[in-house]
Amino acid sequence: MATQIENIAWWILLLPLLSAVGITLFTLRFHKLSAQISIAAVSVSFLLSLLLFVALPGSAFSVSASWIHVADLSIDFRLILDPLSKLMLLVVTGVGMLIHIYSYGYLHDDRSLSRYFASLSLFTFSMLGIVLASNFVMMFIFWELVGVSSYLLIGFWYEKASAADACKKAFLTNRVGDFGFILGILVVWAALGSLEFDQLKAVLAAHPGKLGAMAGVGGLLVFCGAMGKSAQFPLHVWLPDAMEGPTPVSALIHAATMVAAGVYMLCRTFFLFQATPAWPEALAFLHGWTALDIIAWIGGATALMAALMAVQQDDIKRILAYSTLSQLGYMVMAVGLSGPSPAMYHLTTHAFFKAMLFLGAGSVIHACHHEQNIWRMGGLFRKMPITSWTFLLGALALCGVQPLSGFYSKDAILAQAMEHSLPLFGLAMGVAGLTTFYMFRLVFVAFFGKERGEQAAHAHESPGIMTWPLRALAFFTVASGVMGIDHFIAGAFAAGGHEAASLSFAEALMAPFAHSPAAAFLGLFATMLGLSAAWACYGAADADPLPQRFGSIAQTMRHRFYFDEMYEEAIRLTHDAIASVADWIDRWLISGLLVRGAHGSFEVFGRFLRLLQSGNLQTYAFLLVAGLLAIIYLSFSH
Amino acid sequence: MNASLLSLEWMILGGGLVFLLLDLWTPAGKKRSLGYAAAALVAVTLVWSFRVDASTPQLAFNDGYVLDALALFFKRFFLIATIGVLLMSVDFADQFQAGIGEYYSLILFALGGMMLAASANDFTMLFVSIELITVTFYVLTSFLRHKTPSLEAGIKYLILGALSSGVMVYGIALVFGSSGTMKFGELAEKAAGLTHQKVFLIGALFLVAGLAFKISAFPFHVWTPDVYEGSPSPTTAFLAVGSKAAGFVLLLRFLFVAMPHAVVAEWSRVLMVMSGVTILYGNLCAIPQRSLKRLLGYSSISNGGYMLLGVAAMSHEGSTAVLYYLSGYLFTVLAGFLVISIVVRQLGSDDLKAIAGLHRRSPLLATALTLAMVSLAGVPPLAGFFGKFLLLKSVLEQGSSYYWLMAVAVVGVVISISYYLGVVRAIYWSDRPIEPKELILGAPMRIALYACVLGMLYLGLFPNFTLELASRATGVLKF
Repeated sequence: MATQIENIAWWILLLPLLSAVGITLFTLRFHKLSAQISIAAVSVSFLLSLLLFVALPGSAFSVSASWIHVADLSIDFRLILDPLSKLMLLVVTGVGMLIHIYSYGYLHDDRSLSRYFASLSLFTFSMLGIVLASNFVMMFIFWELVGVSSYLLIGFWYEKASAADACKKAFLTNRVGDFGFILGILVVWAALGSLEFDQLKAVLAAHPGKLGAMAGVGGLLVFCGAMGKSAQFPLHVWLPDAMEGPTPVSALIHAATMVAAGVYMLCRTFFLFQATPAWPEALAFLHGWTALDIIAWIGGATALMAALMAVQQDDIKRILAYSTLSQLGYMVMAVGLSGPSPAMYHLTTHAFFKAMLFLGAGSVIHACHHEQNIWRMGGLFRKMPITSWTFLLGALALCGVQPLSGFYSKDAILAQAMEHSLPLFGLAMGVAGLTTFYMFRLVFVAFFGKERGEQAAHAHESPGIMTWPLRALAFFTVASGVMGIDHFIAGAFAAGGHEAASLSFAEALMAPFAHSPAAAFLGLFATMLGLSAAWACYGAADADPLPQRFGSIAQTMRHRFYFDEMYEEAIRLTHDAIASVADWIDRWLISGLLVRGAHGSFEVFGRFLRLLQSGNLQTYAFLLVAGLLAIIYLSFSH
Repeated sequence: MNASLLSLEWMILGGGLVFLLLDLWTPAGKKRSLGYAAAALVAVTLVWSFRVDASTPQLAFNDGYVLDALALFFKRFFLIATIGVLLMSVDFADQFQAGIGEYYSLILFALGGMMLAASANDFTMLFVSIELITVTFYVLTSFLRHKTPSLEAGIKYLILGALSSGVMVYGIALVFGSSGTMKFGELAEKAAGLTHQKVFLIGALFLVAGLAFKISAFPFHVWTPDVYEGSPSPTTAFLAVGSKAAGFVLLLRFLFVAMPHAVVAEWSRVLMVMSGVTILYGNLCAIPQRSLKRLLGYSSISNGGYMLLGVAAMSHEGSTAVLYYLSGYLFTVLAGFLVISIVVRQLGSDDLKAIAGLHRRSPLLATALTLAMVSLAGVPPLAGFFGKFLLLKSVLEQGSSYYWLMAVAVVGVVISISYYLGVVRAIYWSDRPIEPKELILGAPMRIALYACVLGMLYLGLFPNFTLELASRATGVLKF
């Protein structure tokens, strides 16, 4: 067994855990060593993933280890390794590795560097656990672990009140989604009697109606989990605030991994949504809709709203955060339009270019001494050529400009939308235009024009440890569109497991135009429109012209449609009501009657019994003999 | 007779004699190294034990000694426990005024007794091994000769121990008188016709009472708190782990090898009542305790009660659970006493107040003690949780007549949480001023603590291997 190549999957999963444990226990005081351990762990995980991918690209298999085995009780750990998880392994460990390296440059003089790397390793471990999970229970465990480790990372600078609040907000918002998720898991378990993905898939393939009336509800509840992690409306509020964490953390968990977990989970459990749609009596008004329709519209709404909010943000990281929200909306929409494979494709390319954008933003922030307002930057292009070029490349990819990767994956989603739902296609087109508009607002204001701040004037390029990861990501940003990832994913989702014929380079380059020319041309058109609008408004602006022209609309966008305020008020009111009831119960029933009552009576009893233990030897001997007689009496008494 | 069967015992007992002699030539300043050497000898014996084959039972001493899976399991258990105890005594040795070398030798002799007890297959071997353990412990408990509590502990243990030995010998005499055999194997066959003979039954009950004294089951527990509190810490640890486990292996063998099934089945109610009362008594009495050693004394009584649950279940699963629980208990109690012995030695008190702010003075000690308490309280993923789970499961499987016992055990667990967490609270949230002085730990103690913590976690997270061993060991018992 041990010699089989499959078993290296365990190492991929466990190395980051070992690193987290090792750093916490032994090397907390040695920052450099901790960083090296953590980087080495994720790098080896990446190489092993690559080895697994190259050695066994198309095959799907799993490795298992029994954890507890007592008579009839048996609990196994099983890692699933199909094309889907292998691709995701590469994304998580690959992008993760670059971000680990970058982090060391970005945070090299932080006094808690070891704690940072320990949390980062723990996060990587949890994320890999989600990717490799073979059943809902395991996935949920790692799901929560991701929640915990992201809490640690977002709140890394816990001395800052805003960071401490942000990590709490992220964790609690996620918990709301997770509550739905676990209910969904219970629904599935109750209806199908299993939680193993393979078995569920087989059962549903044979009897699509087996979920019965709970098909829609179960699907939506499971989707709740994705809604939390992937920050979909209405649980999107945590992600922008989570930008309080260090920038590499934003790159890792808010671009490439954690937020992608929701989409990945939807793709992994896509078979659930293919069950015969049905609703219970109480939800009869939903007839005619499927869970997927609702998911698609939630995704679309998120994409549009986030894009609108992004237009009026001034913080470089927040703009990227809203654009992440918007792109995640795209992916969720694609899943909702029965297109898990475009969703996974966009997830993969997005992981590359968004991580690069975040790291680029980090480089800018680093150079400007932690200035994050784009209106106090400007003219960075000449001072930071590598950062600026890669950032520009990332922005173009995000906008969907051919031949960058973003064009191909976004086009796949647009084509999917065009095929299934024209209203959503229109919406997606609008979002594409808005995306270009706000991204180039950012690029024009921050990188071109004249310096508008003291810090920006003295900016200079970041060190090589930070720019090299940028270059590596830039390569993938350019290349991942034509590497055949889409075919690989399509093969993974195809029923018979057959792989689509591979295309030549030139064919791959122009594939979108051949496949769905209308979507491709309209997408490029929207991009051009957004670009020219951005040029018109911000080409040479020193202040934002929109608030004057649109007044209250711009104001509403700037305040993110007042979602946070609304939630805060609603939570405050319900909190106060629930808290006063809970306080009463806790004070009088639990603490008073149960705890104090039980504790008090046991205490009195214990004190009484202690009198028996007098220390007097004669008493002891007497008790012993009396006890013996009692035992003999008891055993002969029946 | 096949003398090589006893190779492990020879190594330990021979070693004990050698150390006794070596003590004469070792200068006073170097006595400490004798302890390390003794620990090394035990470790070598432990390694050697993996070369011993016990897949089929082998007999020696006219069938009085048996080497089987059960015996080997317990021998290894005792060896591991003794390594911990010896390391603890090296650290503790400067508290003794004289006879440091003898202390190590006595520990080895007691270990030899325990290992013989694991293999006892007739009443002679049973009694001799028990006496070897007990007599050695009379000395070990009163080793702090200049301290009255230690002497008091020794005297109390001596008198009550003598009383229980007397009861046991009397019991053996009655059993022999009515059945005509001393051998466990023969007794099981012969006694089938004796199930209604009162003399035989009373004799057997006397024997059970003598063993119950060893595992401090109610009502034979009275000695435990006083002796635990007064003895030197390493002795207390050895009593809590080694002596108790010896009692259990003898009890298991006596009940499920020597006694006819009909008789034992009659006694299940007695055992159930005993274990239920022991659990409640130990836990209730522990609540008001302020001395850590006394608290662990009561905790040890209640834990004996939990393990008695597995015996009372009278099933293969139940006995396996007892063995598993003992393994977890070994690391947990050793960790607890390692910390206590360091605290007592450096602070001169084992009062709960003494450990206030322990986490600032030594994070490792605080962590180890916290984990030990949490494991004893039965919180996952530590060893104590899974052990209790298995014990309760085995009881549950015996049917509805055992449900009340389940309820009692669960109530006991709930009560116990209050005082175990009281210790944790005393460490971290005490409002007493904290002395800034750091506690000093030698490398061997550090390693021993790490080993105990790892052991607790390993057994809790990966119970399979140990369970397998335990299950194979209890395969020799008949239910």
